Amino acid sequence: MAALGPGVTPAWAHVSEGGLILLLPTGVYITSGVAAVVLTILALLLLPRGVTGALFASLRLPLSAIEGLRTATRLLALALLLALVAAGFLGTRDPLENPLPLMLWTVWWIMLAFLQALVGDLWRWINPFAGVAWLVGRAGRRNGIARLPEHFGMLPAIGLYLCFAIFYLADIAPDDPDRLAAVVSGYLAFTAAMMVIFGPDTWLERGEFVSVLMGLLARVAPLARREDGLRLGLWGHAIAHGRALPATLCLLILMIMATGSFDGINETFAWLGFIGVNPLEFPGRSAVWLSTVLGLLATMAVFVAVFAAAIRSGVWLAGETDRFGEAFRRQAPAILPIAAGYHLAHYLSVVLVNGQYVLEMLTHAFHEHGAQDEVTTGFLNATDTVRVLFLTQAGAVVAGHVIAIMAAHAIALSMFPSNRKALASQLPLIAVMIAFTLFGLWLLATPRGA
Amino acid sequence: MTTNDKKDLLATRRDILKGAAAGAGALAATSALPGFVRYAQAQSSEPIKIGFQVHRTGIGAAYGRWYDRVTTAAAKLINDGGGINGRPVEIIAEDDGTDPKRGAEVVEKFASQHKCDIAYGTLFSHVVMGSAPRAGELKIPYFVVSEGHHVASGALNRYTLQPGICDVKSQVKSMAPFVTQNLGKKVTMIFPDYAFGHDHRDFFSAAVEANGGQIIEKIAIPPTETSFTRYFPKIPRETEVIYHVMVGPAVLTFVKEMGEFYGPNKPQIFGFIDSLEAVDLNSPGLEFLDGTYFWEGMPRYAQADQTPYDKFYRDHVGVDGNGASTADAKDVSTYAHMFGCWETLFVIKAGMEAAGYQGTGDRTKLIEAVEAMTDMAQSNEHPQGAKRFNGKTHQVFGPQYISKVEGGKLVVQHQTSIEDGLYDDEVDYTTQAL
Repeated sequence: MAALGPGVTPAWAHVSEGGLILLLPTGVYITSGVAAVVLTILALLLLPRGVTGALFASLRLPLSAIEGLRTATRLLALALLLALVAAGFLGTRDPLENPLPLMLWTVWWIMLAFLQALVGDLWRWINPFAGVAWLVGRAGRRNGIARLPEHFGMLPAIGLYLCFAIFYLADIAPDDPDRLAAVVSGYLAFTAAMMVIFGPDTWLERGEFVSVLMGLLARVAPLARREDGLRLGLWGHAIAHGRALPATLCLLILMIMATGSFDGINETFAWLGFIGVNPLEFPGRSAVWLSTVLGLLATMAVFVAVFAAAIRSGVWLAGETDRFGEAFRRQAPAILPIAAGYHLAHYLSVVLVNGQYVLEMLTHAFHEHGAQDEVTTGFLNATDTVRVLFLTQAGAVVAGHVIAIMAAHAIALSMFPSNRKALASQLPLIAVMIAFTLFGLWLLATPRGA
Repeated sequence: MTTNDKKDLLATRRDILKGAAAGAGALAATSALPGFVRYAQAQSSEPIKIGFQVHRTGIGAAYGRWYDRVTTAAAKLINDGGGINGRPVEIIAEDDGTDPKRGAEVVEKFASQHKCDIAYGTLFSHVVMGSAPRAGELKIPYFVVSEGHHVASGALNRYTLQPGICDVKSQVKSMAPFVTQNLGKKVTMIFPDYAFGHDHRDFFSAAVEANGGQIIEKIAIPPTETSFTRYFPKIPRETEVIYHVMVGPAVLTFVKEMGEFYGPNKPQIFGFIDSLEAVDLNSPGLEFLDGTYFWEGMPRYAQADQTPYDKFYRDHVGVDGNGASTADAKDVSTYAHMFGCWETLFVIKAGMEAAGYQGTGDRTKLIEAVEAMTDMAQSNEHPQGAKRFNGKTHQVFGPQYISKVEGGKLVVQHQTSIEDGLYDDEVDYTTQAL
């Protein structure tokens, strides 16, 4: 780069996009977004109690899945994952050409995770770890050889999710096909071993974090599973009508939300300045890995603390302080729509660029010439398209909050028979969500340097 | 050019690999000689492996994408022309994540895991600085395309060379005569307040004073700044030329606010295209740049007197007359820098041919052959212009371009001579043991 002396490097990955965003009237957009959230709240408070319930009404779909078919698709998914791992070890070294990083990060983590929330539990059909569980069961290891203590709750999944988040955010080369293949095959072997030890069903439910994570996101979807089967309704209906979740699972929800937020925070000028890094010459992941890990953990701690404080003061205002645990475990899932909205907002430009590489990789097998040279980032260079991108991202953030607030309101109404108590219990959480909308929109508009 | 023509020109690396394999197969198949000769021939038609250290992810990704395209196009051209010493070239790309520690790991993978003949292609200076020592330890020739002065400064080692792109010290120095003679002698510099900006400040100040000019104000702007209105009043009234090297996402804001500050009555303004590399000059807020001057490593827009070499290069890489992708006119390339990949690969080819390079045992011969290079003519292999390589400092020197924004395009006003950019040697790498 245009650097004169050792180590001097001006840094800009998508200078056009970042520069054009700084020229957009983002202040107006942010104000409008927050206003939309506030209006939703006012409408909810003014409308009669029954309206919220009607909003989240759903239709039961009399579908019964063919268990054998699902086993087959899961085993196919497992075979595909193994083939991807082989491609990671043996295929091209380029992470934008190798199928493993493209399928894992772009297709699974960015696209599929979002589709879980947008559509429904697709993962249930293509979960390769459920395929592993079936194989372990077939091998006569259905009961395991040890018991995973009940009071551990979802702690194994939480621990593994934390490892995943750290690998993704702080590792020096999470896209490297070799490295990724080693990590994935290691995780597959570990999962199989844990299933043999604790039983496949137990581990799938409480230890295998991917299944837990994808299952959580699917709770947001219009096609969502409830106690009586699959139902179709507005986004968030399953959350609005949901029962209390185990406390450790609620903790995981807050950690997921915190990870998504920190993944935006750590790119901002503000954060880079805070950790003493010049945002114009980002030194690389290896130089900031420790502050990334500590920042992630701190963000998680702050999110849990703020959410718990909001719930605690809510039940105090409602005069029901002894119901803190119940309120915490019932309200935490309402955060999930926000996490899904953030996910889309954060990865929109990435998926539009890397999605082209995925297409190129998928079509390459059938064409003599690839589309590698057709991959473009031109849409990041023009105000019109950058504005559309920004408004889509802002819309996702706002929509996530609107759904979350409506669902939280419905949950509060079902917890407290009195309207006054329900409203009082909600006030602190509402304040947090308004603040969080502002924060989410600020993240989109603020200059980024990493 | 038809789409099919373009598709032919724009092969991917995998096509090159396939071509390489087919070439090797054809050679083996046509060989009707006794077994040991066939073996020798099969061995000599093994591809030459070039480890391409590319910024696929991280902050350099936008550059990496274009470095990759140019590398792919040049390698295809070399292979279509029979390869190097009769052997096809295979590009093995490894992502360095634009990270110095990872960069060193990648160099090690090239040397140990992939058994590459050489490593090549790094752009960002901190990655070069992190990788070059490892290349020296592993004794693998490391050809960087980074513009940094780190090679010629003597900070690196005999295995690291920069034969395809000029360093910024040379670029900055060669701008001073034109600026002082044509734009004005009283210069105010605006630069980001860290090493990159400081180096511009120091090198350009010295060069301007050597040319009879004067720096009347130096305005350092904190890197985290995103609004600049409070800095413009610091520009002295008698300023004849503003020299700016702002970088990062706030560049567009900087230009827009400077335009609002000055209106139509602005001094002469000179900048480095690095600020706006891969940015569409017709972006909103950049109207103010009309009539201002930029350094360009290679003219982004095809000029009225375009050389056949520039046309040849654009056609092969898939870049139109506006410096954008032929697949998407909005997709502006990193035109001022990426020619360095093209020229470096042809220097490697020439070096291997001169050295009679056969395999990794000949790496030192390759280094010595490149060190022996001097003048290179402007050609399809050197479309940016004629070059002069300094074997002692491992740095190449060439022309620079000064362009003026006219109607949203950069029009070349002046081409500097190689001599304009020369400076005294700061190191003699040839005295280091190989």
